[in-house]
Amino acid sequence: MLQLNASSSRWSAFLLLCLVLCSLLTPVVTVKHENFKTCDQSGFCKRNRAYADTALSTSSWSSPYTLEASSVRLDKGLLTGIVTKKAGDENLRLPLTVSFYESGTARVTIDEEKRRKGEIELRHNSKARKERYNEAEQWAIVGGTVLSKGAATTQGAEKGTTRVAYGPASAFQAVIKHSPFGVDFKRNGETQIKLNGEGLLNVEHWRPKIDKPVPEKKEGEEEKREGEDVTEAETSGVTVDDEGTWWEESFGGNTDSKPRGPEAVALDISFPGYQHVYGLAEHTGPLSLKETRGGDGKYTEPYRMYNSDVFEYEMDSPMTLYGSIPFMQAQKKNSTVGVLWLNAAETWVDITRSSSSANPLSFGIGGTTTTNTHWISESGLLDIFVMLGPKPQDVIGAYSELTGYTQLPQQFAIAYHQCRWNYVTDEDVKDVDRKFDKNKIPYDVIWLDIEYTEGKKYFTWDPMTFADPLGMQKQLDEHERKLVAIIDPHIKNEGNYYVVDELKSKDLAVHNKDDNIYEGWCWPGSSYWIDCFNPAARTWWQFLFRYDRFAGSATNTFIWNDMNEPSVFNGPETTMPKDNLHHARWEHRDLHNLNGLTLINATYTALLARSPAEASHPIRPFVLTRSFFAGSQRLGAVWTGDNQAAWPHLEASIPMLLSMGISGFPFAGADVGGFFGNPSKELLTRWYQAGAFYPFFRGHAHIDTRRREPYLAGEPYTGIITQALRLRYALLPAWYTAFHEAHVRGEPIVRPNWYVHPEDEKGFGLDDQFYVGGTGLLAKPVVREGQMESQEVYLADGERYFGYFDFEGYEGPGMVKVSAGLEEIPLLMRGGHVIPRRDRPRRSSGLMRWDPFTLVVVLGKAGDAEGTLYLDDGESFDYEEGAFIHRKFSYGAATSVLISEDLAATGTGGSKKAKEYLKSMEKVRVEKVIVVNAPAAWNGREEVEVSEEGAGKSGAARKVVMEWFAGEGGKAAWAVVRDPGVAIGRGWRVAFA
Amino acid sequence: MRSVGALLCLEYAATVYAASGEASRPRGVGPEFAKFYKDDSTFSCISTPSIKLPLSRLNDDYCDCPDGSDEPGTSACSHLSPLYPHTLVDHSSTGSNISLSLPGFYCKNKGHVPSYVPFTNVNDGICDYELCCDGTEEWDHVGGVKCEDRCQQIGKEFRKLDEARQKSLGSAGRKRKELVVEAGRLRREVEDRLQSLGTEIEGSEVKVRQLEVELVEVERREKGKVVRSAVQKVGKMGVLVGLAKQRSEELRGTLERVREERDASRGRVQELEGVLMTFKEEYNPNFNDEGVKRAVRAWEEYAARDKGPEPDAAHDRDLDAITQSDKDNGLDWAEYEGEGDEESDAGVLFAFEYYLPSSLRHWLDANLRTLRTTLIDSGILADTSSTSTSTSESKAVQAAQSRLDAARSDLANHHKSLTSHQEDLDSNMGPDDIFRALKGQCIATDSGEYTYEFCFLDKTTQKPKKGGGHTNMGNFVRMETVFVDEDVDSKGKGLGKGERIAMRHEGGQHCWNGPNRSTLVVLGCAEVGEVWRIMEEEKCVYRMEVGTPAVCDLVGMGGGGGGGRGGRDEL
Repeated sequence: MLQLNASSSRWSAFLLLCLVLCSLLTPVVTVKHENFKTCDQSGFCKRNRAYADTALSTSSWSSPYTLEASSVRLDKGLLTGIVTKKAGDENLRLPLTVSFYESGTARVTIDEEKRRKGEIELRHNSKARKERYNEAEQWAIVGGTVLSKGAATTQGAEKGTTRVAYGPASAFQAVIKHSPFGVDFKRNGETQIKLNGEGLLNVEHWRPKIDKPVPEKKEGEEEKREGEDVTEAETSGVTVDDEGTWWEESFGGNTDSKPRGPEAVALDISFPGYQHVYGLAEHTGPLSLKETRGGDGKYTEPYRMYNSDVFEYEMDSPMTLYGSIPFMQAQKKNSTVGVLWLNAAETWVDITRSSSSANPLSFGIGGTTTTNTHWISESGLLDIFVMLGPKPQDVIGAYSELTGYTQLPQQFAIAYHQCRWNYVTDEDVKDVDRKFDKNKIPYDVIWLDIEYTEGKKYFTWDPMTFADPLGMQKQLDEHERKLVAIIDPHIKNEGNYYVVDELKSKDLAVHNKDDNIYEGWCWPGSSYWIDCFNPAARTWWQFLFRYDRFAGSATNTFIWNDMNEPSVFNGPETTMPKDNLHHARWEHRDLHNLNGLTLINATYTALLARSPAEASHPIRPFVLTRSFFAGSQRLGAVWTGDNQAAWPHLEASIPMLLSMGISGFPFAGADVGGFFGNPSKELLTRWYQAGAFYPFFRGHAHIDTRRREPYLAGEPYTGIITQALRLRYALLPAWYTAFHEAHVRGEPIVRPNWYVHPEDEKGFGLDDQFYVGGTGLLAKPVVREGQMESQEVYLADGERYFGYFDFEGYEGPGMVKVSAGLEEIPLLMRGGHVIPRRDRPRRSSGLMRWDPFTLVVVLGKAGDAEGTLYLDDGESFDYEEGAFIHRKFSYGAATSVLISEDLAATGTGGSKKAKEYLKSMEKVRVEKVIVVNAPAAWNGREEVEVSEEGAGKSGAARKVVMEWFAGEGGKAAWAVVRDPGVAIGRGWRVAFA
Repeated sequence: MRSVGALLCLEYAATVYAASGEASRPRGVGPEFAKFYKDDSTFSCISTPSIKLPLSRLNDDYCDCPDGSDEPGTSACSHLSPLYPHTLVDHSSTGSNISLSLPGFYCKNKGHVPSYVPFTNVNDGICDYELCCDGTEEWDHVGGVKCEDRCQQIGKEFRKLDEARQKSLGSAGRKRKELVVEAGRLRREVEDRLQSLGTEIEGSEVKVRQLEVELVEVERREKGKVVRSAVQKVGKMGVLVGLAKQRSEELRGTLERVREERDASRGRVQELEGVLMTFKEEYNPNFNDEGVKRAVRAWEEYAARDKGPEPDAAHDRDLDAITQSDKDNGLDWAEYEGEGDEESDAGVLFAFEYYLPSSLRHWLDANLRTLRTTLIDSGILADTSSTSTSTSESKAVQAAQSRLDAARSDLANHHKSLTSHQEDLDSNMGPDDIFRALKGQCIATDSGEYTYEFCFLDKTTQKPKKGGGHTNMGNFVRMETVFVDEDVDSKGKGLGKGERIAMRHEGGQHCWNGPNRSTLVVLGCAEVGEVWRIMEEEKCVYRMEVGTPAVCDLVGMGGGGGGGRGGRDEL
């Protein structure tokens, strides 16, 4: 019997195992929550949330932070002082600076004197730095930090406050309260942003670990300890803190040694009167951020920012993802303000709202909602930038000035990218390339995932499968197509691999807590990680990309940096231990969220110097990153990581990309078709239709999925997908112009309703439709299954809108129904805009270079229209020397004249390159002008008069044929000017009357 | 090379029209459309002749006609295609069906064969020598591009290759004929065999019938003999012993079966544990698959637990002993069975003969036997011999029975053979029965780190070059016809466009996290058997493109080449 029992239990165990194995076969579609921390599992988050709970539930709560009035100095825009924190008998000194910049941005920084001076002791003989991390700005901030000499203290400040007026026309004020310390930022006398208004400021000061005799834990003590969690700030002088998470924390079998003890920084930032806040990219929830402390439709966890490789991430969640931008904008009617929390450590943000009604009977009208946010970071400085708007463009402009503008990408980079994990051989790539041509589907870039390498050793090619990479790239180049190959930051630990040999011998890898080389697991197995914080590592990295070293790479090879969170398969939360050491002995915890940025920074510079010849006339690098931080936009494009072939992922892609757009990193896309799983043909088709409106437009698929190149879908799907792709290509001039606006002004490329209509409160929560740049194109891609009838589109204003394809007229404000059959993309043109287009389908965007333009002039209610076009060679940096065309097209109802004006304030006349470029574009003309909503008065007219500036024929007017068509049904009347023949780079006028 | 047939067609057309005003055709117009461009005052759009344009609008790089026929030499109308996102501006003149009347930009390609280039390729700065060796489609020299005329060189190469191709095709045709002959021979072999099988079956049937008769006779004869031995009337003890023996036999049988099952299960568990052990050692922790990690952990726990008793040799020896025959264990049932005889009262009745003199006994015996046989035959006496155990059956009957059995089994085998040959004969071996000649023949190719092998009407296999086990990628299940649209290279290799014979292979080795491997082998014409391409279209679903002379007459010219279906499909 005993034997029977034993064997039966053995069998049942076996069956269990079988069940476990079987469960692998069924698709698992939920994120592995157990792999990632909740706030409760993250000591500093838990401590600070508890701190907030105590503060908010204590009626007589007083923040223990005081600004010593006598220490305050304001000199040339820089205010300094000492904030003291009362902790027990001690008054800890926290140096404060408040900077007032020319741009109108203010910055508040709090450090800790003891750590700064190194007057602390590290445990475990750690070699880590003692200071709070103060180098985030070296990576994230590139401009906008000129101090404003005009900032001045104002008289008549209330007692116990210092009041500084600054900003444009001194319309801004910072009211610094001394005790408790806090700052109110006002614009035109009205408070917009409050720091420490709720008293949640918390700078965890350094303290020695006192090894108390550990009292026997008793059941009953649990509750007591709970209550004492937050007594650190109590003034009783007896600190009985919960030290449980101060000195060591374990998660998922990994222990963080925390040699510096507790060191979190936290602060509450309130936006009085603001109901909506946006930002904190990237998360999968709605664009307008939700409350996070529970309740109906609210999250229970704070928004988390700790760049992680989140496998099969879930929808509508505050969980962290691959990248983070700790930038938030608050929106109320006609006012936008923003804050940047410059901290690269793990960060959590709680959001709550409180309402006060001026008149309790008026239900919201006249009442105000205040959004309160609570920012908590594990280490580093408390460092925040405050932007007071008032327009969305002011805030994003100020943010972009600080962190840098989106790189102006090469034109191919904004065309269509075809990717798959993996194209298996060079012949496979060439075959796909041919098939696109054969099926008349345009594309610009084909991608290689990790399998092209020999055994996951980057900078090598698998000799079995990619025997002739140069031959492959030559074929691509024949139609000006590019190859993007993946290079990840983990370097395989294997003998006879020069890259790892050099990495080790030069000591350029990340170190572990004992200051030895850190070894972890990633795609290749045992690996080391390049430490791009190290200048020597970056120099070496550049060297690796040279054509003579990365044999098989060519001038049309570009780079994809994946896994740069960094993803470490056997590390805590799939990343590095926080006590790892980087260059200059900073702990990984201090700079984790910057890690991805440093890698693409190294790759970007590497791509500028692949050969001496190129170094003197470089082409613009293209680098795709998965991980990012504030500032990454300067260096490349980003995608939303490993999504799934499911409708909710298509739906979520839109708010996610809108969020990236208003967070200063608009060059973003989601994998079209969905990475994991097989999309239905309807889903694939709808995804292409949506993807045609992603700033970064790439189809991608997991290795286990069926092939899904557009030509495989079959009819009618392939045809519909091809139309969507060709629409993207036709509109490339508009997209490129939008990218230029992002490049010079930081503007989003796809723009949410609130950004375009900050006066329209009803549209503040809208995140499923958007405008393309400044073109007036309003898109609302279909993202739900079986939705074939129509799509409701919200019109924010009273302007007239027209169907892009059928010129059907719509009038706002309010919801309108737009036809949405499978072959249709709900796309409207807002009246008052001019949309530049190139109507000739070509095989790639490079082959459209010499094609003529079509201008679509959409007359608005007032009968006017205006638009811009930016154009350059699409690949070099010559535009920096003026080699570009930047035109403004405007049509005035009063004059009935369409004119093209030069917007290039500088450059065009000057440099040699500028002249050469303009000369090369001389023959590129406008072949067609389409006027939508053309005045009925044009009925019967058959000609317009065209005149063009420039040598030889200046002023000579020509007659050109025009045809007017009446609008039938609800359609707008329209007119076509037949081949005005004017050069796109010249000034000209077309007189319609 | 696109479509050889189409090009040849055009060549013919070109010669016809060459004499008649080639010079007067507008740029890009092919000879077969020249008639639309003859009017020297106005031009009428081809699809909508009511739209008349001044000649100045021909090739002025602006699209006027709804079918694009006014721009045969530019890319101005290249957007007129169902693949373009048209707006009302295009739809207003053409309705919903927007398409071009012309196949493309006509390149004369003097020295080679004329061809059409898609309008989308005209003046895009790229020399499309593949279709337009004279470079005329880049007449505008945008961006300074100059496409020299390469037709002499390309034409020469083409002709050389074409000659080789024709030669190869001829040779392929001959090979196919040989295959047909061979297939015919093989078929006849089968038919012959079928015929001889028919004769053999007839013979066997006769034999079986004879032996049946013989058996009946032998049995009849033997029945009488058993008077003496077959009269055992079994007593109670005998019944018990019989039951005990039967039971013992049953138990032994069952024990043996259980042991076999146990051994099989133990073998399976060992195999599974081996699989899991390998899984644990070889799984790629890189892939960050939480499910796999969980499975590994569960296995580790399982492996660490008390496993119950190891297989015990002594215990097994005991079992061996137990399952030996009873006789070997010192238990002779026969002894006990005999005892029953002595105690049987009824036995006495027949025992009297023992007291008679031997001569009388023999006489009596003979007569009694006849009587007994008669009685049994007439149903008066019970046939005790039929109830007795086989051991008691006489050797003669046994021999007759076994002869009959052998004959019957022969007959069955012949029937089986007949069926299988008939099936073979009836099965689809392709047109002309051609694959009969190739059945079981294998061709292979290297791709990446594997060699892929295809054996006709058998299976497909993946063999790692670095060593290790072969992987079955599917066994042949049926032949199909598939539509393909693939390139044909300059040497004529490739499937081309059209319907092709394909062989489906299913039920190959199972994939981790996936289906059983399967392969679709698509056949195109080639001089020698050759695997052109192997693709994994999705996880563990393969597609092979194979050239073989066997399908040559079916697909026309130029490898699998698209035949005369026309170059327009290509444009």
